[in-house]
Amino acid sequence: MSSVTDQIDSATGAADAAVVAAASAPRRKSAFRMLFSDVGACIALVLVVLAILAAAFAPWLAPTDPYGNDLANTLKAPGEVGLLGTDGQGRDMITRLLFGLRTTLLMGLASVTFGCLTGGVIGFAAAYYPSLSGILMRMMDVLLSFPAILFGLAIAAIFGPGLTAVIIALSIATVPLMARVVRGSALVVLQQGYIEAARSLGLSDLRIILRYVLPNCLSAMFVFVTLRFGQVILLGAALSFLGLGAQPPAAELGAMAADGRNFLFFAPHVSVLPSLVIFAVVLAFNVLGDALRDALDPKLRK
Amino acid sequence: MTKLSALLLAAAGAATLAAAPATAQQKAPLTILRVIDADRYDPIRSTATAAAEVLYMLADTLVTVDFDMKTIKPGLAESWTISPDGKTYTFKIRKDVKFCDGRPMTVEDAVYSLKRWVDPANKSPVSFRGGQVKDIRAEGDSTLIYELNEPYSDLMFQMALSFASIVDKNAVESMGQNFGVQGFNGTGPYCWVKWTPRQELVLKKNPHYTWGPSIYKDPKPQVDDIVWKIIPETNTLMAAIQAKQADVTYYMPYIALDTMQKIPGFTVQRQENYIYDVFMGFRVDKPVANDKAIRQAANMATNKEAISKAIFFGKGQTLPSLLNPAVLDYDKSSGDKMPKYDPAGAAKLLDEAGWKPGADGIREKDGQKASFTVYGIRNSDNPRISEAMQADLRKVGIDMKIQLWDATVAWGKLATQEFDAFLMSYPYVTATEALNLYFASRQVPTPNRMNWKDTKTDELLKAAATATDDTTRKQAIGAVQNQLTEANVWVPLVSQPLWVVATDRVEGARAHGLYGAGLYKGLDIKLKR
Repeated sequence: MSSVTDQIDSATGAADAAVVAAASAPRRKSAFRMLFSDVGACIALVLVVLAILAAAFAPWLAPTDPYGNDLANTLKAPGEVGLLGTDGQGRDMITRLLFGLRTTLLMGLASVTFGCLTGGVIGFAAAYYPSLSGILMRMMDVLLSFPAILFGLAIAAIFGPGLTAVIIALSIATVPLMARVVRGSALVVLQQGYIEAARSLGLSDLRIILRYVLPNCLSAMFVFVTLRFGQVILLGAALSFLGLGAQPPAAELGAMAADGRNFLFFAPHVSVLPSLVIFAVVLAFNVLGDALRDALDPKLRK
Repeated sequence: MTKLSALLLAAAGAATLAAAPATAQQKAPLTILRVIDADRYDPIRSTATAAAEVLYMLADTLVTVDFDMKTIKPGLAESWTISPDGKTYTFKIRKDVKFCDGRPMTVEDAVYSLKRWVDPANKSPVSFRGGQVKDIRAEGDSTLIYELNEPYSDLMFQMALSFASIVDKNAVESMGQNFGVQGFNGTGPYCWVKWTPRQELVLKKNPHYTWGPSIYKDPKPQVDDIVWKIIPETNTLMAAIQAKQADVTYYMPYIALDTMQKIPGFTVQRQENYIYDVFMGFRVDKPVANDKAIRQAANMATNKEAISKAIFFGKGQTLPSLLNPAVLDYDKSSGDKMPKYDPAGAAKLLDEAGWKPGADGIREKDGQKASFTVYGIRNSDNPRISEAMQADLRKVGIDMKIQLWDATVAWGKLATQEFDAFLMSYPYVTATEALNLYFASRQVPTPNRMNWKDTKTDELLKAAATATDDTTRKQAIGAVQNQLTEANVWVPLVSQPLWVVATDRVEGARAHGLYGAGLYKGLDIKLKR
């Protein structure tokens, strides 16, 4: 019986795959073409790749120890000591920016991953099982009513300030957003005939979701993740700016901007440089997310 | 860089000035800028220096402290005597004093105020400062008897603090919990007009006031109105002073002082005798922090001189000892015993104590990492001080974890047993006061956050507090200083300086600094225009 189902499934899957391939082969090509024809998107992509590479290779790229201080050389202007000067502890700004970027991107990655995985599961469950939809989505509505900053404050008050608190707060704040996006996309997919066919063939719910629903929701999810990444970085930096994020001596861009605000008139680079990096990274993710959305939208491609 | 900062300052100043073109032309109140407000202004209910700095203007105390921070001078009490056994203080109270509402102050008002301070029923957080009181009573119409169960050598200095302010009984009883919130009636040089929390507190001249302490040239207030204005952000505060939107502040960021000294139209002065010390205290009954070698190594590995220069921009004073050398009864021999900066010596000490470097560079002993957590308040200085210490300790293989808290939750966190060490700054007037406050075992868990319980310390502290002569007191409190220095319970860091910055509209402003009050009574201050 099992082998028969597998054969049918395999056949259906192959047929579907063929249909999808036939339909999507030219589409994928045009989507990439559309993405790369957008100069802004290309610049954003390059910035994102550079940021990821800089963060990944920070220990090898950094010219000095990120945690070693030099109190004799504090608040030196760019060019005076090091290319971008030093901070309030006399640490090289390039080094701190590289490690700060690393922490910020890791924070964003962790938050988006946990938030999106959980939100995705909830979204699929809510779409696939109408009986669960009401309670799950009302819970998501409740979560949506709390701003991420408030989550951060509450979690930092319970567990103490730190990167973990920020990641938990941002993950929770991401869950309802992802759940809504996934549920919306999945509901559309679930109306399709091939889902009806798969059900009539006796495929398990999990198999239907993983094999047919998920792949057809991926483009919407991918766009959301890209856009959310930029938002999460900004929110994380804001929480760190308030002292709830990474604790010393860890470098984090929001915390670095906060550290420099006491010297804004005298050593503006300490605050301005990390702020500029946050600006550039968030902008890059947002532009890329927008471009991806346009590229993957069949109506716009027409 | 200097040019850039001067340009930025000038631009900020010009921008703020442009926003209020008429302000500088008018005879405006004296505006004093500060960064934080108090929760209330009832003398017995707030320990905040932000309350004290205003209360000294609103109310008087029986005695005052001179600018040297060591000499007791008359206040509302013209004179006083202390009985040979040190238990009975007899104050002769002035008869020419009036409250802001015009009612003459009587000795009964003074008795009421002091009883209110020390009465356990009022649950004042500062009642212990009044000593073991047996009775406070009036004798005749101008004599106040303050009787103790045991001598208390610090009493006169405590009497000069704002907690012992004389207030109007009628006002206190009519306002109840709102006294110092909705209104105030004292005998100070200035009277309460209006308080908008976290914005401003407005005072006006007490028209009756002629009894200012002799530490001032003129016993009468010279300014009609005073506004204590809150600007939490120090860059904005600096720009406001630069634009002459305000007249005076002692909350100017240290980084700006050199620039302010160079700008014409401003005076910058320092109170040399100001005592407000920063230290890190170890909780001596916690793992790692309970090892004297770790504590001593922390003292040796911390470059206090560099912290003083870099964090306070050369305006701070390195603390060479447990207590400030300027304080009454400072013991120099204890200062000589304080470990000097010697990172190599610290590493050697740790090696000898069995703390061996681990794979990650952090030392270990019996499976325990040389790691401890420090709690503190997240203010403008603590993050930088703690990070500098953290980097210094890391160099000798000690991992210091920093957890700084917003002021709204910090005091609650500092009352827990969660941390291994804590960062703190505090004002004090005598060695006996400081050490009794922090090291008496009865003060565990707070403010004795070290959990220091030692019979010898308690005996010596009691001996110092109850001494009836200077020599006995100095010997006893000197012995405590030596004992605690040898135990390395604290890492004394920096004495925070008091700098008063005033515009050229102000003359006669002189830095005082008793319990953090930079302008104290605000007498002798005049406005030129």
